[in-house]
Amino acid sequence: MKLLITGVSHKTAPVEVRECLAFGEESLPAALADLKSRDGVSEAVILSTCNRVEITITTEDRSDPQAIVEAFLAEQKAVNPGELEAHVYRHEGKNAIHHLFRVAASLDSMVVGEPQILGQLKAAYAAAKDCGAVCGWLESLMTRTFSVAKRVRSETGIGQMAVSISYAAVELARKIFGSLSNRTVMIVGAGKMSELAARHLRRSGASHVFVTNRTAERAAEMARLFQGTPVEYSRFTAMLPEVDILITSSGAPHYILHKDEMQRVIQARRNKPMFLIDIAVPRNIEPTVNQIDNIFLYDIDDLQEVVNANLRERAKEADHAETMVAEEVDRMMARLKVAEVTPVIVGLQEQLEQIRAAELEKTRRRYGPFTPEQEQAMEALTRGIINKVAHGPISQLRNHAADPDGAHVVAAIRKAFHLQD
Amino acid sequence: MAEMSVIWLRVAAVLYSLGLLHAILTLVRRREHLFRVALAAFTFGSVFHLVSIVEEGIVNNRCPITNFYETLSMCTFLVVVLYLFVHWRYKVESLSVFIFPLVFVMALVATLGNPVSAWSSPVVRNAWLTVHIVLVLLGYAALLFTAVASVVYLMQERELKAKKPRKFYYRLPPLGTLDELISKSMSIGFVLITLAVIAASTWASIELQGAWIRQPRIAISFFTWGVYLALVFLRTTSGWRGRKAAIMTITLVCFSAVTWAAHSQLGSMLYKP
Repeated sequence: MKLLITGVSHKTAPVEVRECLAFGEESLPAALADLKSRDGVSEAVILSTCNRVEITITTEDRSDPQAIVEAFLAEQKAVNPGELEAHVYRHEGKNAIHHLFRVAASLDSMVVGEPQILGQLKAAYAAAKDCGAVCGWLESLMTRTFSVAKRVRSETGIGQMAVSISYAAVELARKIFGSLSNRTVMIVGAGKMSELAARHLRRSGASHVFVTNRTAERAAEMARLFQGTPVEYSRFTAMLPEVDILITSSGAPHYILHKDEMQRVIQARRNKPMFLIDIAVPRNIEPTVNQIDNIFLYDIDDLQEVVNANLRERAKEADHAETMVAEEVDRMMARLKVAEVTPVIVGLQEQLEQIRAAELEKTRRRYGPFTPEQEQAMEALTRGIINKVAHGPISQLRNHAADPDGAHVVAAIRKAFHLQD
Repeated sequence: MAEMSVIWLRVAAVLYSLGLLHAILTLVRRREHLFRVALAAFTFGSVFHLVSIVEEGIVNNRCPITNFYETLSMCTFLVVVLYLFVHWRYKVESLSVFIFPLVFVMALVATLGNPVSAWSSPVVRNAWLTVHIVLVLLGYAALLFTAVASVVYLMQERELKAKKPRKFYYRLPPLGTLDELISKSMSIGFVLITLAVIAASTWASIELQGAWIRQPRIAISFFTWGVYLALVFLRTTSGWRGRKAAIMTITLVCFSAVTWAAHSQLGSMLYKP
């Protein structure tokens, strides 16, 4: 059996190439059925996302999986294999398993650690299963792949740190307040990013959102989005002692909140921490406000710095994940090798059993008939002998199956016992 | 002190103890449950307290400020009157968390001026002392926990202020969680230490019959308790967090260590023949 994974990804091909090869959700079942029906193909999975198009197939030993996939793509997508050559990657056998594990663990993603890829891979597997395109070895490989991805996510911090500005703001709010339930948010001004940050905060448990804007209608409109309360622009500073998280993104050309004012606010809050997110350019909050105890002020560059630090941290975690994936690949290969020697073990046992049965029959013909007790004794004696003879070679096969020189051991045992390939 | 005067003072101390209970509930449960009852008891207590002072003055035919216990009783009474006035004028309930325990402990110590009867049995004496030691150790454990959590809070706060996340930012718990831990452990520690102070004062007054209050280590203990009370008060009313709170907690740990050292031979007094 041969395993091949071939395709294009954001790392190897521009979007113009990827979009030519992409399979839509509706066309996927027919494509899978076509691929599966080709001569020599045992199983197939097609993964098609915005960042990668990848075909995984298993074929019989006599077939050439690469030629099959090229012919399939030429027919399905009308592409010339020669044109694709520069963008396509191919992985076979152990490398293919390694690649599949990396993809599922989000180590090959554009944003390392993003969680969507695992869901997309599961969807691709489900589609293939529905079409009957996976039903054996590839199915067990895919199941193992999902376990490896789950292990990587739970045992490393690869997916834990926010990598977008708006999520970084939510993550910081969690670092300051712990739980966000019963926290109030105020948005000053309008803007896509402040809206996004407020949406994430609301989803993370923030209890209420106040919205203020120089244009009262705009404030009311935005407040409706969050089931919040619009506040008059002239009154918003008076409400600050009640606010835990303040997001400013107004177009004011000068600071709208100063240190002295915020000093009074924090006193009125009896020093309860306050998180200020200033995503306006020019900034809305005087930078020295961050010097006040229990006030944490982040502008757009500070949030970007947090995102960068998170990406660096993810890269460190990705190193651990790579080691983990390599371990899992070795484990998988060892398991496969053990599975490979199983027919040899069965053949050896059958061979010895045939010899035993033939010799018993010969003895019966020459010295028989025997009493039931004598038959029983001969059964036990001969079975004991073949079990003892088989024990050594079977142990060797099992122990050396995963070794690099395991093939020599298998060949030697086949030769010694005249086992057929 | 005159016998009747001490009895009235004891009645006042019992009424003041409701104030202590109110303070404990406020600290542990973060809600004021008993304030009205405690305030009423506090007011009634002040009447009995006044009676005690007048009785003492009449019996001795002088102003009762000639020894430590009389002076302490008078001082406590003045604090009570002042608090009742401030409350009547400004309605500052939060001050009760500080004043009620302080008044109770001061009144309790003032009642201990007259020697109480000796121990009924060595078992009671040892059990009493053991309770004090256990309460103190539990209180110290809570205080130490508070100090460690305060230092961790400082480290995380620094990371957040610096805006350049490093290793600690990712590893340390959120400030909100730490703050909650600090509040709880500090409150529990304070309750335990207060009960330990009450147990120790009564034990020492019975054991040493009046001479106990002159010992420097007793003064150190009361001082440490006072610092703890101030810390709890500042945190509850002004929301002291971060650097200020951490420094004060660590200072308190140092005072507690000195107090412990001053009482190092207390264990050996346990099994006195």
